[in-house]
Amino acid sequence: MSQTTHKTRTLIAAIGDEDTITGLLLAGIGDIDTHQRANFFVVDSKTTQEQIEETFTSFTKRKDIAVILINQHVAEDIRGILDEYKAAFPTVLEIPSKDHPYDPSKDSVLKRVQLLFGD
Amino acid sequence: MKEIYFNADAGYLEGVVRGYRDGLITKPQYSNLTQCETMDDLKLQLATTDYAPFLQNEPSPISTSTLSARCTDALVAEFQYLQQNSAEPISKFLEYITYGYMIDNVVLLITGTLHERDTHDLLEKCHPLGFFDTMPALCVATTVQDLYNTVMVDSPLAGYFRECLSAEDLNELNIEIIRNTLYKAYLEDFYNYCMACGEPTASIMSEILNFESDRRTVNITINSFGTELSKDDRSKLYPRLGNMYPEAQTRLARVDDMDQVKAILEQYSEYKTMLLGVNLNASSGGVGGNELSLEDRFFIKEVDLNKEAFEQQFHLGVFYAWLRLKEQEIRNIVWVAECISQQQKDKINNYTPIY
Amino acid sequence: MAAVRDNVFPTRMNLTVTKTRLKGAQTGHSLLKRKSEALTARFRAIVRKIEDAKLKMGKVMQNASFSLAEVAYITGDISYQVRESAKSATFKVSAKQENVSGVILPMFQPEVQASGSQFELTGLGRGGQQIQKARGVYIKAVETLVELASLQTAFVILDEVIKLTNRRVNAIEYVIIPRIENTISYINSELDEQDREEFYRLKKIQGKKKERAAATQREMDEKAKLAIDDGNIHQVVDDDSETGVRNILSEQTDSDIIF
Repeated sequence: MSQTTHKTRTLIAAIGDEDTITGLLLAGIGDIDTHQRANFFVVDSKTTQEQIEETFTSFTKRKDIAVILINQHVAEDIRGILDEYKAAFPTVLEIPSKDHPYDPSKDSVLKRVQLLFGD
Repeated sequence: MKEIYFNADAGYLEGVVRGYRDGLITKPQYSNLTQCETMDDLKLQLATTDYAPFLQNEPSPISTSTLSARCTDALVAEFQYLQQNSAEPISKFLEYITYGYMIDNVVLLITGTLHERDTHDLLEKCHPLGFFDTMPALCVATTVQDLYNTVMVDSPLAGYFRECLSAEDLNELNIEIIRNTLYKAYLEDFYNYCMACGEPTASIMSEILNFESDRRTVNITINSFGTELSKDDRSKLYPRLGNMYPEAQTRLARVDDMDQVKAILEQYSEYKTMLLGVNLNASSGGVGGNELSLEDRFFIKEVDLNKEAFEQQFHLGVFYAWLRLKEQEIRNIVWVAECISQQQKDKINNYTPIY
Repeated sequence: MAAVRDNVFPTRMNLTVTKTRLKGAQTGHSLLKRKSEALTARFRAIVRKIEDAKLKMGKVMQNASFSLAEVAYITGDISYQVRESAKSATFKVSAKQENVSGVILPMFQPEVQASGSQFELTGLGRGGQQIQKARGVYIKAVETLVELASLQTAFVILDEVIKLTNRRVNAIEYVIIPRIENTISYINSELDEQDREEFYRLKKIQGKKKERAAATQREMDEKAKLAIDDGNIHQVVDDDSETGVRNILSEQTDSDIIF
C-alpha cells in the first residue's frame, strides 16, 4: 500500500446486470483502455460462474482500478472468492440491483463488521 | 366511391383491428393493475387481458424485462396476423409502419459493426417488427463499408440510405445523427405515401404524422441544447413536414433555451393547451413529483390523435393508430410493473391512460 | 512465569541501561495504547457510517434504477447503445489522503468531467431529457458509492492497523515489559549477591587484621613483662631496642625529609 499505487488508481470497475451497468455507464464510469479492455462486465443468464470469477480476478489485478462495484446477486455467485479477498485496493463494493434489493446480511464487509462487534 | 371498395380489401382486417382495439386495457383494469402489491398479482390481473396466453407459461417471479418482452410478443403476433392476411394496399401500408423499427435495428447493427462486435448476438436484441428477411445477411458484414453495401442491396431502407448517407458518414457521424437522419427520410416518405392513398387516409394520417414530426422537431431541439450538435445540423434533422414546417422550424433551429421553445409552441393552438401547467424543466413523471413533463403531454396528445383515428371508417390510419396505442399500453404496463417491483407506488399513476 | 530475561552481564551500568529501557517500553506502551484507542474510536465511527451509507446506498440505487425505468418508458432499451458508446471514463476518482494517528487513509474523491459526455446525443429524437436526467441521478448514485468505497477502504486498512497496534500493545505489555523487569530483578539480585560477598570478604579481612594486631600486641606485652622482670640487663637491651625503634622512626622521618 505504498503511496504511489493509489494515486494511479482512478477507475471504477463494475460487474452487474444489464440495467445496473447501463446506469453506471451513463454516469460515465465506462472506460476501454488501449488494450481494448473494458472496465465493466455485463452478467446475464448465459454468463457462467467461471466468467464472473475470471473477470473479478482480472479487475483486482489491474493497477488502474480503485473501486470494483459488483451487484449483490452476482457477488453471491462468487461469494467464496469475495470472502477471501481482503486487500484494501481495489475496494470491492456490493451494490443492489433493480430486481434484488440490498440485503446487508450477505455483504462480505458487513459480515466482517458484525464479526468484530458481534461479541 | 372508394369507400365501396374499401371493405373488399380491408373490411375484414379493419374489423380485426377494431376488435384488437377493444382488447386494449380500460380504465377499471388499469386501476386494478395499479392496486397490485407484487408482480404475481400483476400477472394474475393481466390474465384477463389479451396478454394472457403469452404470460401464462412464464415462471414466477416474472421480471419487468420479461414482462415487457412477452407483451411485445403479443403485439407482434397480432401485427403479424394482420400482415399475413393483408393484400395491397394494406400490406404496403403495414410494411411502411415496420420501416421505423427497421431503422432502429439497422442502427443497432451499425453500432455493433463499428465496435467490431459479433453482430449475430444483436439479432435477438432487434425489435421483431423491424425484422426483415435479409437482416441476418447484414451480420456477415465485418466492416462498415461492407455493411453499407449490404444495406443498399438487401434492405428495404436502401432508399433512405441512398438519399442521405454515404459509407463514410457511417464511420464519422454520431450514430444518433444517422438514426435521426434516416428517421426523417422515412417520415417524409411515409407521409408522401399516405398522401397518395387518397382521402380519408391522407387527412387522418397527415394529422398523426404531422404531430409525430412536430414532436421530433421539438425533441431534437430540446435535446440538442448544450451538445456538440450545431444549429445547422440540428435543422437538417427536422423532418420537412408538420404543422411547424417550415416557418417555426427555422425559428426552432436558432433557439437556445426552453423558454424560447415554449414561446414558439404557444403560437400553435393545438400545442398551446398542451403546454398549460407543464413544468418544462421536469422530465417524465419521476422525481419532480406528479407534474407531467412535455414528453408525457406529447404521449397524451398522441393517444388522443390515435383514438380519433378510430372515429372514422374506410381508412388505413386505424392500423397505425392501433399499433401506437398498443405500444403505449405496453409502456404503461411495464411502467406499472416497474413501480410495483421497485416499490415506487407513489408514481404508479404516471402512465398515459388510453381508454 | 519462567523468568525470561535478557542475556546481560549484571553490572550497575547495565542496570541503568535496562532501567532506561523499561521506562522506554512503558512510555511506548502507553503511547501505542492511546493510538489504538484513537484508531478504534475512528474505526467505530467509520463502521457506523458504513452501515448508514450502505442503507442509504440501497435507496439511492433504487432511485437510480427507477430513473432508468423512466428512460425505458420513453425511449425504450438503450443499454446496448450506451455500452458501445463507452470509450473513456468521464467519471473517475482521485485519492486524497487523510492522516489518522499516523495511519494514512485514502479518501476517494469523485471527479466528473462536466463536458464531453459520450451520451449527450443519445435519445436525440426521443427521451434525451430523461436520459440526461437519469445520467444525473446515476452520477449522484456513483458519488455515494465512491464515498462508501472510501469508508470501506478505510475500514479494511484501519482494521489491519488496529490489529497490528493491538498486537504490539499486547507484546509490550505481556512480553517485553515483564522481560525487562525480570532482567532488572536479576541484575539487582546479582548485584546484591556481589555486595554480600564483598561484605563477607571485608569482614574476613578485618578479622584477620584484628587477629594479627592482637598477636603483635601480645608479643609486645610479653617483651615488656620480661623487661620489667630483670632491670639492668634488660635496660641495655631496652636501650638497644629503643634505639632500634628510634632508628626505624628516624628512618621514616628521614624518608619524610627526603620527600
